[in-house]
Amino acid sequence: MEGLCCGPGYASPSEAIRAPSEKLLYTIAIYTGTGIQKPDYLATVDVDPKSESYSKVIHRLEMPGIGDELHHMGWNACSSCYDDKSMSRRYLLVPGVRSNNIYVVDTATNPKAPTIYKIIQGTEIKTKTNLSGPHTVHCLGSEIIISFLGNAKGEAPGGYLHLNKDFEILGRWENSMGDIPFSYDFWYQPRHNVMVSSEWAAPNTFMPGFDLEEVGHLKYGRRLHIWDFEKKIPIETMYLGEDGLIPLEVKFLHNPISSHGFCGAALSANVIHFWKTKNGSWEWEKIIDIDNEPHPDWPIPIPGVMSALLVSMDDKYLYINNWLHGDMRQYNITDPHNPVLTGQVWIGGLLGKAPIVNGVKVAGGPQMYQLSLDGKRMYVTTSLFSTWDNQFYPEIRTKGGVMLMIDCDVKNGGMKINKDFVVNFGNEPNGPSRCHESRYPGGDCTSDIWL
Amino acid sequence: MKKITIANRNNATYEVKGNKPLLLELRSLGVDLPYGCQYGGCITCAAKLIKGKVDQKSQVALNNRQINDGYVILCVARAKTDCTFDIGVESHDKLYRNPFVDPLAPHELKADIASFREIKND
Repeated sequence: MEGLCCGPGYASPSEAIRAPSEKLLYTIAIYTGTGIQKPDYLATVDVDPKSESYSKVIHRLEMPGIGDELHHMGWNACSSCYDDKSMSRRYLLVPGVRSNNIYVVDTATNPKAPTIYKIIQGTEIKTKTNLSGPHTVHCLGSEIIISFLGNAKGEAPGGYLHLNKDFEILGRWENSMGDIPFSYDFWYQPRHNVMVSSEWAAPNTFMPGFDLEEVGHLKYGRRLHIWDFEKKIPIETMYLGEDGLIPLEVKFLHNPISSHGFCGAALSANVIHFWKTKNGSWEWEKIIDIDNEPHPDWPIPIPGVMSALLVSMDDKYLYINNWLHGDMRQYNITDPHNPVLTGQVWIGGLLGKAPIVNGVKVAGGPQMYQLSLDGKRMYVTTSLFSTWDNQFYPEIRTKGGVMLMIDCDVKNGGMKINKDFVVNFGNEPNGPSRCHESRYPGGDCTSDIWL
Repeated sequence: MKKITIANRNNATYEVKGNKPLLLELRSLGVDLPYGCQYGGCITCAAKLIKGKVDQKSQVALNNRQINDGYVILCVARAKTDCTFDIGVESHDKLYRNPFVDPLAPHELKADIASFREIKND
Protein backbone atom coordinates (compact mmCIF):
# COMPACT_ATOMS: atom_id res chain seq x y z
CA MET A 1 0.00 0.00 0.00
CA GLU A 2 2.98 2.29 0.64
CA GLY A 3 4.55 4.31 -2.16
CA LEU A 4 5.30 2.66 -5.47
CA CYS A 5 8.17 5.08 -5.92
CA CYS A 6 10.09 5.57 -2.77
CA GLY A 7 8.76 7.11 0.43
CA PRO A 8 5.37 6.90 2.14
CA GLY A 9 2.02 7.87 0.74
CA TYR A 10 1.15 8.71 -2.82
CA ALA A 11 2.49 10.87 -5.63
CA SER A 12 -0.76 12.85 -5.83
CA PRO A 13 -4.35 12.87 -4.56
CA SER A 14 -5.44 11.07 -7.74
CA GLU A 15 -2.89 8.31 -7.01
CA ALA A 16 -4.22 8.07 -3.45
CA ILE A 17 -7.77 7.55 -4.75
CA ARG A 18 -6.54 4.50 -6.69
CA ALA A 19 -4.93 2.88 -3.62
CA PRO A 20 -6.25 -0.49 -2.41
CA SER A 21 -9.26 -0.33 -0.07
CA GLU A 22 -8.59 -0.12 3.66
CA LYS A 23 -8.74 -3.48 5.43
CA LEU A 24 -8.44 -2.26 9.01
CA LEU A 25 -8.64 0.98 10.84
CA TYR A 26 -7.54 2.32 14.19
CA THR A 27 -9.82 4.29 16.43
CA ILE A 28 -9.18 5.58 19.90
CA ALA A 29 -11.58 4.52 22.63
CA ILE A 30 -11.75 6.23 26.00
CA TYR A 31 -12.65 5.32 29.54
CA THR A 32 -11.55 8.71 30.90
CA GLY A 33 -14.60 10.40 32.40
CA THR A 34 -16.80 7.32 32.04
CA GLY A 35 -16.51 5.94 35.57
CA ILE A 36 -14.63 2.85 34.40
CA GLN A 37 -11.17 2.77 35.93
CA LYS A 38 -9.37 1.40 32.89
CA PRO A 39 -6.88 2.98 30.47
CA ASP A 40 -7.97 4.48 27.17
CA TYR A 41 -6.96 2.31 24.22
CA LEU A 42 -6.32 2.16 20.51
CA ALA A 43 -8.81 -0.24 18.95
CA THR A 44 -8.09 -2.08 15.71
CA VAL A 45 -11.31 -2.56 13.75
CA ASP A 46 -11.57 -5.10 10.93
CA VAL A 47 -13.09 -3.33 7.91
CA ASP A 48 -12.37 -6.04 5.32
CA PRO A 49 -15.81 -7.26 4.18
CA LYS A 50 -14.27 -10.63 3.22
CA SER A 51 -12.95 -11.23 6.72
CA GLU A 52 -14.74 -13.34 9.32
CA SER A 53 -14.14 -10.65 11.92
CA TYR A 54 -15.49 -7.86 9.71
CA SER A 55 -17.08 -5.03 11.72
CA LYS A 56 -15.45 -6.16 14.96
CA VAL A 57 -12.76 -4.84 17.28
CA ILE A 58 -9.91 -7.33 16.76
CA HIS A 59 -7.26 -5.81 19.04
CA ARG A 60 -7.05 -3.33 21.90
CA LEU A 61 -3.80 -1.54 22.72
CA GLU A 62 -4.19 -0.21 26.25
CA MET A 63 -2.25 2.84 27.33
CA PRO A 64 -0.03 2.36 30.41
CA GLY A 65 -2.25 4.36 32.79
CA ILE A 66 -5.69 5.89 33.17
CA GLY A 67 -6.87 9.43 32.45
CA ASP A 68 -5.21 10.32 29.14
CA GLU A 69 -8.36 11.15 27.14
CA LEU A 70 -7.02 10.04 23.78
CA HIS A 71 -8.65 12.17 21.11
CA HIS A 72 -6.96 12.91 17.77
CA MET A 73 -3.87 11.29 16.26
CA GLY A 74 -1.58 11.48 13.26
CA TRP A 75 1.17 9.69 11.34
CA ASN A 76 4.92 10.14 11.57
CA ALA A 77 5.02 10.48 7.78
CA CYS A 78 2.62 11.08 4.90
CA SER A 79 2.73 11.96 1.22
CA SER A 80 4.65 15.11 2.15
CA CYS A 81 7.77 12.92 2.19
CA TYR A 82 6.83 10.72 -0.74
CA ASP A 83 10.27 11.32 -2.29
CA ASP A 84 12.18 10.36 0.87
CA LYS A 85 13.25 6.73 0.71
CA SER A 86 14.36 6.77 4.32
CA MET A 87 10.82 7.45 5.61
CA SER A 88 7.84 5.16 6.02
CA ARG A 89 4.36 5.53 7.47
CA ARG A 90 4.98 3.32 10.44
CA TYR A 91 4.20 5.21 13.63
CA LEU A 92 0.93 6.68 14.81
CA LEU A 93 1.29 9.53 17.31
CA VAL A 94 -1.54 9.42 19.81
CA PRO A 95 -1.72 12.31 22.29
CA GLY A 96 -3.67 12.36 25.55
CA VAL A 97 -5.46 15.70 25.87
CA ARG A 98 -5.62 15.60 29.68
CA SER A 99 -2.40 13.77 30.55
CA ASN A 100 -0.28 15.60 27.95
CA ASN A 101 1.45 12.28 27.14
CA ILE A 102 2.11 11.39 23.52
CA TYR A 103 2.17 7.70 22.65
CA VAL A 104 4.14 6.71 19.57
CA VAL A 105 2.54 3.50 18.33
CA ASP A 106 4.25 1.06 15.97
CA THR A 107 1.60 -0.09 13.50
CA ALA A 108 3.93 -1.71 10.98
CA THR A 109 5.44 -4.68 12.83
CA ASN A 110 1.98 -6.17 13.23
CA PRO A 111 -0.70 -3.88 11.78
CA LYS A 112 -3.52 -5.79 13.46
CA ALA A 113 -1.87 -5.66 16.88
CA PRO A 114 0.06 -2.38 17.19
CA THR A 115 2.40 -1.78 20.12
CA ILE A 116 3.69 1.25 21.99
CA TYR A 117 7.11 2.16 20.60
CA LYS A 118 7.87 5.25 22.67
CA ILE A 119 6.19 7.52 25.18
CA ILE A 120 6.86 11.24 25.21
CA GLN A 121 5.94 12.10 28.78
CA GLY A 122 3.55 14.98 29.32
CA THR A 123 5.75 16.35 32.08
CA GLU A 124 8.75 16.48 29.73
CA ILE A 125 6.71 18.39 27.15
CA LYS A 126 5.62 20.88 29.81
CA THR A 127 9.15 21.34 31.11
CA LYS A 128 10.81 21.76 27.73
CA THR A 129 8.15 23.68 25.79
CA ASN A 130 5.59 25.04 28.28
CA LEU A 131 2.74 23.37 26.38
CA SER A 132 -0.32 21.31 27.36
CA GLY A 133 -3.54 20.12 25.76
CA PRO A 134 -2.30 18.43 22.54
CA HIS A 135 -4.62 18.16 19.57
CA THR A 136 -3.76 17.95 15.86
CA VAL A 137 -0.74 15.98 14.62
CA HIS A 138 0.73 16.69 11.17
CA CYS A 139 4.02 15.53 9.74
CA LEU A 140 5.87 18.03 7.62
CA GLY A 141 8.42 16.24 5.56
CA SER A 142 10.33 14.10 8.00
CA GLU A 143 9.42 16.12 11.06
CA ILE A 144 6.24 16.44 13.09
CA ILE A 145 4.30 19.34 14.57
CA ILE A 146 1.45 19.05 17.06
CA SER A 147 -0.89 21.85 18.05
CA PHE A 148 -1.33 22.38 21.79
CA LEU A 149 -4.16 24.47 23.18
CA GLY A 150 -2.51 25.77 26.32
CA ASN A 151 0.65 26.49 28.21
CA ALA A 152 1.78 24.19 31.01
CA LYS A 153 -0.90 25.72 33.25
CA GLY A 154 -3.66 25.10 30.70
CA GLU A 155 -3.97 28.74 29.68
CA ALA A 156 -4.43 29.86 26.06
CA PRO A 157 -3.10 30.27 23.42
CA GLY A 158 -0.69 27.31 23.56
CA GLY A 159 1.46 26.71 20.50
CA TYR A 160 3.14 24.02 18.45
CA LEU A 161 5.39 21.19 19.58
CA HIS A 162 8.17 20.34 17.12
CA LEU A 163 9.48 16.75 17.05
CA ASN A 164 12.19 15.25 14.87
CA LYS A 165 11.68 11.95 13.06
CA ASP A 166 13.00 10.06 16.08
CA PHE A 167 10.30 11.70 18.22
CA GLU A 168 12.73 13.82 20.17
CA ILE A 169 11.53 17.22 21.31
CA LEU A 170 13.13 20.00 19.26
CA GLY A 171 11.18 22.71 21.06
CA ARG A 172 8.45 25.03 19.86
CA TRP A 173 7.83 25.02 16.13
CA GLU A 174 6.47 28.55 15.80
CA ASN A 175 8.62 31.63 16.03
CA SER A 176 5.71 33.65 17.36
CA MET A 177 2.04 33.19 18.23
CA GLY A 178 1.49 36.87 17.39
CA ASP A 179 -1.73 38.01 19.02
CA ILE A 180 -3.52 34.70 18.48
CA PRO A 181 -5.81 34.15 21.49
CA PHE A 182 -6.60 30.43 21.03
CA SER A 183 -5.39 27.33 19.20
CA TYR A 184 -6.97 24.17 17.92
CA ASP A 185 -6.70 22.60 14.46
CA PHE A 186 -4.35 23.49 11.60
CA TRP A 187 -3.63 22.50 8.01
CA TYR A 188 -0.93 23.71 5.67
CA GLN A 189 -0.60 24.11 1.91
CA PRO A 190 3.12 24.39 1.11
CA ARG A 191 2.84 25.66 -2.46
CA HIS A 192 1.15 28.76 -1.07
CA ASN A 193 3.55 28.92 1.89
CA VAL A 194 0.51 29.03 4.12
CA MET A 195 -0.83 27.42 7.25
CA VAL A 196 -4.32 28.09 8.62
CA SER A 197 -5.13 27.58 12.29
CA SER A 198 -8.46 27.67 14.13
CA GLU A 199 -9.62 28.33 17.70
CA TRP A 200 -11.34 26.23 20.37
CA ALA A 201 -10.48 27.50 23.83
CA ALA A 202 -7.94 27.16 26.64
CA PRO A 203 -7.70 23.65 28.12
CA ASN A 204 -8.85 25.06 31.45
CA THR A 205 -11.99 26.30 29.68
CA PHE A 206 -13.02 23.33 27.50
CA MET A 207 -11.68 20.39 29.53
CA PRO A 208 -14.15 20.71 32.44
CA GLY A 209 -17.12 20.98 30.04
CA PHE A 210 -19.05 23.66 28.18
CA ASP A 211 -20.47 26.69 29.95
CA LEU A 212 -22.41 28.62 27.29
CA GLU A 213 -21.90 31.89 29.16
CA GLU A 214 -18.14 31.62 28.56
CA VAL A 215 -18.71 32.20 24.84
CA GLY A 216 -20.03 35.67 25.68
CA HIS A 217 -17.07 36.23 27.97
CA LEU A 218 -14.79 35.59 24.96
CA LYS A 219 -13.41 32.37 26.40
CA TYR A 220 -14.06 30.59 23.10
CA GLY A 221 -12.64 31.31 19.66
CA ARG A 222 -14.13 33.11 16.66
CA ARG A 223 -11.16 33.64 14.33
CA LEU A 224 -9.03 31.89 11.72
CA HIS A 225 -5.34 32.66 11.41
CA ILE A 226 -3.19 32.73 8.29
CA TRP A 227 0.47 31.86 8.84
CA ASP A 228 3.63 32.41 6.83
CA PHE A 229 4.54 28.73 6.90
CA GLU A 230 8.26 29.16 6.26
CA LYS A 231 8.73 32.03 8.67
CA LYS A 232 6.49 30.22 11.22
CA ILE A 233 4.63 33.37 12.19
CA PRO A 234 0.95 34.35 11.95
CA ILE A 235 0.48 37.15 9.41
CA GLU A 236 -3.27 37.69 9.04
CA THR A 237 -6.41 37.12 11.09
CA MET A 238 -9.89 36.53 9.74
CA TYR A 239 -12.38 37.66 12.37
CA LEU A 240 -15.51 35.56 11.84
CA GLY A 241 -17.61 37.04 14.62
CA GLU A 242 -21.05 35.54 15.24
CA ASP A 243 -20.80 33.59 11.97
CA GLY A 244 -17.79 31.72 13.24
CA LEU A 245 -18.32 30.90 16.90
CA ILE A 246 -15.92 28.12 17.93
CA PRO A 247 -14.24 27.46 14.58
CA LEU A 248 -12.88 23.91 14.90
CA GLU A 249 -11.75 21.70 12.07
CA VAL A 250 -9.94 23.41 9.21
CA LYS A 251 -8.99 21.74 5.91
CA PHE A 252 -7.60 22.81 2.58
CA LEU A 253 -8.61 21.07 -0.61
CA HIS A 254 -6.23 18.16 -1.24
CA ASN A 255 -5.08 19.55 -4.58
CA PRO A 256 -1.78 21.18 -3.58
CA ILE A 257 -2.25 23.96 -6.11
CA SER A 258 -5.52 25.12 -4.57
CA SER A 259 -5.76 27.83 -1.90
CA HIS A 260 -9.40 27.05 -1.10
CA GLY A 261 -10.19 25.71 2.34
CA PHE A 262 -13.04 25.22 4.78
CA CYS A 263 -13.68 25.46 8.48
CA GLY A 264 -16.66 24.26 10.49
CA ALA A 265 -17.76 26.76 13.14
CA ALA A 266 -19.19 24.39 15.74
CA LEU A 267 -21.50 26.62 17.76
CA SER A 268 -22.64 28.79 14.84
CA ALA A 269 -23.06 25.57 12.82
CA ASN A 270 -21.70 27.32 9.73
CA VAL A 271 -19.15 26.34 7.14
CA ILE A 272 -16.62 29.07 6.47
CA HIS A 273 -14.94 28.99 3.06
CA PHE A 274 -11.62 30.84 2.70
CA TRP A 275 -9.25 31.38 -0.23
CA LYS A 276 -6.38 33.50 -1.45
CA THR A 277 -7.29 36.29 -3.83
CA LYS A 278 -5.28 37.26 -6.91
CA ASN A 279 -3.57 40.06 -4.99
CA GLY A 280 -2.40 37.63 -2.31
CA SER A 281 -4.80 38.61 0.47
CA TRP A 282 -7.17 36.12 2.09
CA GLU A 283 -10.94 36.29 2.03
CA TRP A 284 -13.66 34.29 3.71
CA GLU A 285 -17.38 33.78 3.34
CA LYS A 286 -20.09 31.74 5.04
CA ILE A 287 -21.27 29.12 2.56
CA ILE A 288 -23.38 26.79 4.73
CA ASP A 289 -25.63 27.87 7.61
CA ILE A 290 -27.41 25.12 9.55
CA ASP A 291 -30.49 26.47 11.30
CA ASN A 292 -30.95 25.79 14.99
CA GLU A 293 -33.79 23.33 15.57
CA PRO A 294 -36.58 23.57 18.15
CA HIS A 295 -36.78 20.96 20.92
CA PRO A 296 -39.74 20.49 23.26
CA ASP A 297 -37.55 20.49 26.39
CA TRP A 298 -35.16 23.27 25.42
CA PRO A 299 -35.83 26.96 26.07
CA ILE A 300 -33.87 27.87 22.95
CA PRO A 301 -33.47 25.98 19.64
CA ILE A 302 -30.64 23.45 19.48
CA PRO A 303 -27.53 24.47 17.53
CA GLY A 304 -26.10 21.82 15.22
CA VAL A 305 -22.64 21.76 16.82
CA MET A 306 -20.63 21.16 13.66
CA SER A 307 -17.64 19.62 15.34
CA ALA A 308 -15.84 18.13 12.35
CA LEU A 309 -15.43 18.56 8.61
CA LEU A 310 -13.82 16.51 5.85
CA VAL A 311 -13.05 16.91 2.14
CA SER A 312 -13.06 13.85 -0.14
CA MET A 313 -9.73 13.07 -1.82
CA ASP A 314 -11.09 14.16 -5.23
CA ASP A 315 -12.05 17.55 -3.70
CA LYS A 316 -15.60 17.06 -4.95
CA TYR A 317 -17.46 16.56 -1.68
CA LEU A 318 -17.44 18.30 1.68
CA TYR A 319 -18.80 16.34 4.63
CA ILE A 320 -20.07 17.93 7.84
CA ASN A 321 -21.81 16.71 10.99
CA ASN A 322 -24.30 18.24 13.39
CA TRP A 323 -23.52 16.42 16.61
CA LEU A 324 -26.54 17.65 18.57
CA HIS A 325 -29.02 17.43 15.69
CA GLY A 326 -27.79 13.97 14.69
CA ASP A 327 -27.17 14.35 10.96
CA MET A 328 -24.26 13.98 8.56
CA ARG A 329 -24.35 15.90 5.31
CA GLN A 330 -22.59 15.69 1.99
CA TYR A 331 -22.20 18.79 -0.20
CA ASN A 332 -20.89 18.96 -3.74
CA ILE A 333 -18.22 21.70 -3.64
CA THR A 334 -17.21 21.69 -7.30
CA ASP A 335 -17.95 25.41 -6.98
CA PRO A 336 -16.64 26.11 -3.47
CA HIS A 337 -18.60 29.36 -3.29
CA ASN A 338 -21.88 27.53 -3.91
CA PRO A 339 -22.07 24.14 -2.18
CA VAL A 340 -24.97 21.87 -3.16
CA LEU A 341 -26.47 19.50 -0.60
CA THR A 342 -26.30 16.02 -2.15
CA GLY A 343 -26.68 13.64 0.78
CA GLN A 344 -27.83 13.37 4.39
CA VAL A 345 -28.20 10.61 6.97
CA TRP A 346 -29.35 10.57 10.60
CA ILE A 347 -27.53 8.88 13.49
CA GLY A 348 -28.75 9.43 17.06
CA GLY A 349 -28.88 13.10 18.02
CA LEU A 350 -31.24 15.07 20.24
CA LEU A 351 -33.97 15.60 17.63
CA GLY A 352 -35.08 11.98 17.82
CA LYS A 353 -34.76 11.33 14.07
CA ALA A 354 -32.73 8.11 14.37
CA PRO A 355 -32.51 6.82 17.95
CA ILE A 356 -31.70 3.25 16.82
CA VAL A 357 -29.35 2.52 13.91
CA ASN A 358 -28.51 -1.03 12.78
CA GLY A 359 -30.04 -2.36 15.98
CA VAL A 360 -27.98 -0.18 18.33
CA LYS A 361 -29.50 2.55 20.46
CA VAL A 362 -27.22 5.50 19.75
CA ALA A 363 -26.19 7.72 22.65
CA GLY A 364 -24.56 10.73 20.99
CA GLY A 365 -24.60 11.92 17.42
CA PRO A 366 -22.28 11.74 14.42
CA GLN A 367 -19.08 13.31 15.61
CA MET A 368 -15.79 12.16 14.03
CA TYR A 369 -15.54 10.52 10.64
CA GLN A 370 -12.96 9.22 8.28
CA LEU A 371 -13.46 8.65 4.56
CA SER A 372 -11.84 5.94 2.45
CA LEU A 373 -9.35 7.20 -0.10
CA ASP A 374 -11.74 6.30 -2.93
CA GLY A 375 -14.45 8.32 -1.18
CA LYS A 376 -16.98 5.48 -0.98
CA ARG A 377 -16.90 4.40 2.68
CA MET A 378 -17.21 6.80 5.58
CA TYR A 379 -16.66 5.53 9.14
CA VAL A 380 -18.47 7.60 11.75
CA THR A 381 -18.15 7.63 15.55
CA THR A 382 -20.38 9.30 18.12
CA SER A 383 -18.41 10.66 21.11
CA LEU A 384 -17.05 14.22 21.19
CA PHE A 385 -15.12 14.63 24.44
CA SER A 386 -15.82 12.94 27.76
CA THR A 387 -17.02 15.98 29.69
CA TRP A 388 -19.08 17.37 26.80
CA ASP A 389 -20.61 13.91 26.17
CA ASN A 390 -21.57 13.80 29.84
CA GLN A 391 -23.39 17.14 29.54
CA PHE A 392 -25.36 16.57 26.34
CA TYR A 393 -25.69 12.78 26.14
CA PRO A 394 -25.45 11.49 29.74
CA GLU A 395 -26.78 8.07 28.68
CA ILE A 396 -23.51 7.51 26.78
CA ARG A 397 -22.01 6.50 30.12
CA THR A 398 -23.90 3.21 30.07
CA LYS A 399 -24.38 2.81 26.32
CA GLY A 400 -20.90 3.76 25.09
CA GLY A 401 -20.01 4.93 21.61
CA VAL A 402 -20.85 3.43 18.22
CA MET A 403 -19.01 3.21 14.92
CA LEU A 404 -21.10 3.06 11.77
CA MET A 405 -20.29 3.12 8.08
CA ILE A 406 -21.95 5.28 5.45
CA ASP A 407 -21.88 4.31 1.80
CA CYS A 408 -21.19 7.45 -0.20
CA ASP A 409 -22.13 7.77 -3.87
CA VAL A 410 -19.12 9.49 -5.43
CA LYS A 411 -20.65 9.75 -8.88
CA ASN A 412 -24.11 11.16 -8.33
CA GLY A 413 -23.87 12.20 -4.70
CA GLY A 414 -25.79 10.64 -1.83
CA MET A 415 -25.24 8.92 1.51
CA LYS A 416 -26.72 5.73 2.93
CA ILE A 417 -25.99 3.95 6.20
CA ASN A 418 -24.50 0.54 5.46
CA LYS A 419 -26.70 -2.13 7.09
CA ASP A 420 -23.91 -4.68 7.52
CA PHE A 421 -21.49 -2.60 9.57
CA VAL A 422 -21.82 -1.57 13.20
CA VAL A 423 -19.28 -1.66 16.01
CA ASN A 424 -20.99 -1.20 19.36
CA PHE A 425 -18.42 0.07 21.84
CA GLY A 426 -21.09 -0.40 24.50
CA ASN A 427 -20.21 -4.11 24.43
CA GLU A 428 -16.48 -3.78 25.04
CA PRO A 429 -14.94 -6.32 27.45
CA ASN A 430 -14.15 -3.74 30.15
CA GLY A 431 -17.49 -1.98 29.78
CA PRO A 432 -18.87 0.79 27.57
CA SER A 433 -16.12 2.92 26.01
CA ARG A 434 -16.37 5.85 23.61
CA CYS A 435 -14.76 5.93 20.18
CA HIS A 436 -13.51 9.10 18.50
CA GLU A 437 -11.03 9.66 15.66
CA SER A 438 -10.12 6.88 13.17
CA ARG A 439 -7.17 6.40 10.85
CA TYR A 440 -6.15 3.82 8.23
CA PRO A 441 -2.65 2.34 7.91
CA GLY A 442 -2.31 3.57 4.31
CA GLY A 443 -3.30 7.17 4.93
CA ASP A 444 -6.73 8.71 4.73
CA CYS A 445 -8.57 11.87 3.78
CA THR A 446 -7.32 13.96 6.73
CA SER A 447 -3.73 12.75 6.97
CA ASP A 448 -1.83 13.56 3.81
CA ILE A 449 -0.46 16.81 2.41
CA TRP A 450 1.45 17.22 -0.86
CA LEU A 451 4.48 19.48 -1.17
CA MET B 1 -3.73 13.49 60.67
CA LYS B 2 -7.16 13.89 59.08
CA LYS B 3 -9.75 11.17 58.78
CA ILE B 4 -11.23 10.83 55.27
CA THR B 5 -14.49 8.91 54.96
CA ILE B 6 -15.66 7.71 51.54
CA ALA B 7 -19.42 7.55 52.01
CA ASN B 8 -20.18 5.74 48.76
CA ARG B 9 -17.54 3.08 49.44
CA ASN B 10 -19.25 1.66 52.51
CA ASN B 11 -17.98 4.57 54.61
CA ALA B 12 -14.40 3.33 54.29
CA THR B 13 -12.00 5.53 56.28
CA TYR B 14 -8.42 6.57 55.65
CA GLU B 15 -5.90 8.66 57.58
CA VAL B 16 -4.14 11.38 55.55
CA LYS B 17 -1.63 14.06 56.49
CA GLY B 18 -3.31 16.90 54.65
CA ASN B 19 -0.04 18.26 53.26
CA LYS B 20 -0.45 16.76 49.78
CA PRO B 21 -3.35 16.66 47.31
CA LEU B 22 -6.02 14.18 48.36
CA LEU B 23 -5.72 12.33 45.05
CA LEU B 24 -2.09 11.47 45.84
CA GLU B 25 -2.73 10.66 49.47
CA LEU B 26 -5.76 8.47 48.84
CA ARG B 27 -4.25 6.67 45.86
CA SER B 28 -1.17 5.85 47.92
CA LEU B 29 -3.54 4.24 50.41
CA GLY B 30 -5.06 2.11 47.66
CA VAL B 31 -8.21 4.09 46.80
CA ASP B 32 -8.96 3.70 43.08
CA LEU B 33 -9.83 7.22 41.91
CA PRO B 34 -10.32 8.74 38.45
CA TYR B 35 -8.03 11.57 37.36
CA GLY B 36 -6.81 13.36 34.24
CA CYS B 37 -4.64 16.48 34.10
CA GLN B 38 -3.35 16.33 37.71
CA TYR B 39 -3.05 20.12 37.98
CA GLY B 40 -6.62 21.18 38.78
CA GLY B 41 -7.74 22.05 35.25
CA CYS B 42 -9.90 19.22 33.94
CA ILE B 43 -12.64 18.08 36.41
CA THR B 44 -12.09 14.31 35.81
CA CYS B 45 -11.14 13.73 39.45
CA ALA B 46 -14.03 15.74 40.95
CA ALA B 47 -15.58 14.36 44.14
CA LYS B 48 -18.42 15.68 46.28
CA LEU B 49 -17.55 16.96 49.72
CA ILE B 50 -20.32 16.08 52.16
CA LYS B 51 -18.64 17.20 55.37
CA GLY B 52 -15.39 18.96 56.25
CA LYS B 53 -13.12 21.58 54.70
CA VAL B 54 -10.50 21.46 51.96
CA ASP B 55 -8.07 23.94 50.45
CA GLN B 56 -8.51 23.81 46.66
CA LYS B 57 -7.56 27.36 45.75
CA SER B 58 -5.34 26.23 42.87
CA GLN B 59 -8.17 24.51 41.00
CA VAL B 60 -9.33 26.30 37.82
CA ALA B 61 -11.87 23.76 36.52
CA LEU B 62 -14.97 24.35 38.63
CA ASN B 63 -17.52 27.09 38.19
CA ASN B 64 -19.08 28.64 41.26
CA ARG B 65 -22.24 26.56 41.01
CA GLN B 66 -20.20 23.37 41.09
CA ILE B 67 -18.27 24.68 44.08
CA ASN B 68 -21.53 25.57 45.84
CA ASP B 69 -22.76 22.04 45.12
CA GLY B 70 -19.77 20.72 47.05
CA TYR B 71 -17.45 19.61 44.27
CA VAL B 72 -13.79 19.32 45.01
CA ILE B 73 -10.90 18.78 42.59
CA LEU B 74 -9.00 16.01 44.37
CA CYS B 75 -5.78 16.36 42.36
CA VAL B 76 -5.08 19.72 44.00
CA ALA B 77 -7.33 19.80 47.09
CA ARG B 78 -5.77 19.27 50.51
CA ALA B 79 -7.78 18.19 53.54
CA LYS B 80 -7.99 20.94 56.20
CA THR B 81 -10.20 18.91 58.56
CA ASP B 82 -11.67 15.43 58.72
CA CYS B 83 -13.75 15.08 55.52
CA THR B 84 -16.50 12.89 54.12
CA PHE B 85 -16.74 12.47 50.33
CA ASP B 86 -18.73 10.72 47.66
CA ILE B 87 -16.22 9.79 44.94
CA GLY B 88 -16.25 8.81 41.27
CA VAL B 89 -18.93 9.36 38.66
CA GLU B 90 -21.66 8.31 41.12
CA SER B 91 -20.99 11.66 42.81
CA HIS B 92 -21.29 13.62 39.53
CA ASP B 93 -25.10 14.00 39.51
CA LYS B 94 -24.82 17.80 39.65
CA LEU B 95 -21.38 18.17 38.08
CA TYR B 96 -22.57 18.00 34.47
CA ARG B 97 -25.54 19.95 33.20
CA ASN B 98 -26.93 20.82 29.79
CA PRO B 99 -25.69 24.41 29.41
CA PHE B 100 -28.55 25.42 27.10
CA VAL B 101 -31.37 24.06 29.26
CA ASP B 102 -29.90 25.10 32.60
CA PRO B 103 -27.83 28.29 32.21
CA LEU B 104 -25.60 29.75 34.92
CA ALA B 105 -26.39 33.00 36.72
CA PRO B 106 -23.59 35.60 36.59
CA HIS B 107 -22.45 34.74 40.12
CA GLU B 108 -22.29 31.03 39.23
CA LEU B 109 -19.61 31.40 36.55
CA LYS B 110 -15.97 30.54 37.09
CA ALA B 111 -14.20 32.78 39.56
CA ASP B 112 -12.30 34.81 36.95
CA ILE B 113 -15.48 35.98 35.19
CA ALA B 114 -18.18 35.71 37.87
CA SER B 115 -19.90 38.85 39.08
CA PHE B 116 -20.60 39.34 42.74
CA ARG B 117 -24.13 38.47 43.76
CA GLU B 118 -26.24 41.34 44.98
CA ILE B 119 -27.04 40.83 48.61
CA LYS B 120 -30.46 42.13 49.41
CA ASN B 121 -30.84 43.93 52.71
CA ASP B 122 -33.88 43.09 54.74
